[in-house]
Amino acid sequence: MKTFTNIKLSATIAFTHMRARLKQTIIATAGVTFGITVFVFMVSFIQGSNDFMQAVAFEQSPHLRLYNEILTAPSNILDRAEPGIINMVSHVKPKDILLNLKDGPQIVQALQQDPRVAAVSGSVNTQVFYRLGSSSINGTINGIRFEQENALFNLQAKLVEGSFRELSTLPNSIVVGVGLAKRLNVKTGDPLEVTTEKGNNFSVKVVGIFKTGLTDIDKQQSYASLNTVQRFLEVPMSYITDIKIKLHNMELAPAMSEELQAKYGFHGSDWKQDNAALLAGDALRKMIVYGVAVTILLVAGFGIFNILTMMIYEKMKDIAILKAMGFSDTDIRWIFLIQALIIGITGALIGLLFGFLAAYGLSKVPYKSDVMITLDHLPVSFSAVYYVTGFTFGILTTTLAGYLPSRKAAGVDPITILRG
Amino acid sequence: MTMNLIEVRNINKYFYQPTQMQVLTDVSLDIEKGHFVSITGKSGSGKSTLLYLLSTMDTAFEGSIRINGEEMQGKRNRWLADFRNHHIGFVFQFHYLLPEFSVLRNVMLPALKLARYSPAEVEHRAMDLLKLLGVDVQATKRASLLSGGQQQRVAIARALINEPLIIMGDEPTGNLDSQNAAIVFDLFRQLSSERGQTILTVTHDDDFAKRSDKVIHLVDGKVAH
Repeated sequence: MKTFTNIKLSATIAFTHMRARLKQTIIATAGVTFGITVFVFMVSFIQGSNDFMQAVAFEQSPHLRLYNEILTAPSNILDRAEPGIINMVSHVKPKDILLNLKDGPQIVQALQQDPRVAAVSGSVNTQVFYRLGSSSINGTINGIRFEQENALFNLQAKLVEGSFRELSTLPNSIVVGVGLAKRLNVKTGDPLEVTTEKGNNFSVKVVGIFKTGLTDIDKQQSYASLNTVQRFLEVPMSYITDIKIKLHNMELAPAMSEELQAKYGFHGSDWKQDNAALLAGDALRKMIVYGVAVTILLVAGFGIFNILTMMIYEKMKDIAILKAMGFSDTDIRWIFLIQALIIGITGALIGLLFGFLAAYGLSKVPYKSDVMITLDHLPVSFSAVYYVTGFTFGILTTTLAGYLPSRKAAGVDPITILRG
Repeated sequence: MTMNLIEVRNINKYFYQPTQMQVLTDVSLDIEKGHFVSITGKSGSGKSTLLYLLSTMDTAFEGSIRINGEEMQGKRNRWLADFRNHHIGFVFQFHYLLPEFSVLRNVMLPALKLARYSPAEVEHRAMDLLKLLGVDVQATKRASLLSGGQQQRVAIARALINEPLIIMGDEPTGNLDSQNAAIVFDLFRQLSSERGQTILTVTHDDDFAKRSDKVIHLVDGKVAH
């Protein structure tokens, strides 16, 4: 109780000091405000861009993927026939394996029952040549069941013209990427030739055009129904090459990938592996923002440090007289620490407000990009985490900047001053 | 038998800057409650040093100082600050009011720190003291706007607010014209005789010293008899 009234008294003295030096106080507060504003603004913008780019990339990549890969056999046949002898086999060729997933459709059904799984889609992915007239373009074709694939990747939203529905009703129909359509100069309703790896030619009809925003995909990929692609490859109905899974909690993906690989003997990869470069880039950009913000706040902190130190030199007499009256070192320390805290808290709060306003203004700026097609305004994140972080940073710096001068004030020897 | 309010026994005090030098040598003295005591001596005789030792603000000394039965040697900063707040009022040569605060607020501060009475009660008492000292008209003015004599009277009101055992003065009339000096002296005299207030001042004003109850004269850091 006594401590509280002491601190309250120190606070009223601090307020009187600050009111007497209103201009300096406002400048110091403005320094903190500026630091926090820049921090919030920059983090919001960078995080917004990161989120947007991740969203574009992740919409095209499943949380979890199961597939087969061509590999060299782990041991050679001589070793298996004559174990215990050193056998030399040079130039081992990769094993010729079927790329299809054994019992794929059954596994898809089983996975649909798994409570962790939000959606699952089995598809056939293969290399083809798209041919129109004398030109031929290399690309991939994805045989899908539209309902399953749409649940994973929200394909419907990416359709520019035509329709996905016709894939299942019209034989030999495909939906092509916007870049591919441009290169081939085709529109919805135009015919096209597709050549498979085995050299079979099929005539197909374009029933729609999609754009994902990722140039690599839009330039070379197309969708057809699962049956159509199976027919192109001359494989049975049970043949699928990819199982793509969307989870309720994407953080479970790495662990679940291990589990499914062990259970079914396929290869697997998760979104963290697939987007490692993107995630690393995010982390680096965030580090840069924090670095810039800390630098600005340090400068603001030095401002507070200077102002308080100067004030203490001016206030030496007052400090001595307060000590003579019976104010302890701790009371004196509080007087100056409270000034720093008030500057810090006020500056940080105003900074958060200005930062929010600046970020809000930025999010209304129209922005068009050829690469990020689905973007019409600058992407800005309004996550509360950055506001809390900014506020904490601001308070920490100002407390530190106030602590050192206030310790100096507490250490003032009243006698040397009072004796003149 | 009267009780000794201050008992000083065998004090030695050294300065270490610029070179080691003994300022007080084996000083012992007693001050009775209710007395008006002056400490005199030439400049450099150690009279201010002695006062600041008794004020509890200077803690670096050898020997023993007892005030109101409490030993000051080896006490912590917070304890000493609290002791000053309760029992010692100061009046300095250069007034030393806090310039940004109003006159009334200056007088109230030590009592707000003490927190024995509510702020409203403290304000009432401060007003009474300002009236007693004839500066109540200035109560709401900023302290820096008052004349020297008025400031010194406000400083005395501030020294009195917590009803301390001792009022200590470091040349309290040193910076005042003779008329104001006379007013301040009469105030001290009056406090001592009417309120039984113990007063201890350092002065080089012989006239002032002559009219006190007791004079402690220091020569080269020793009490002269």
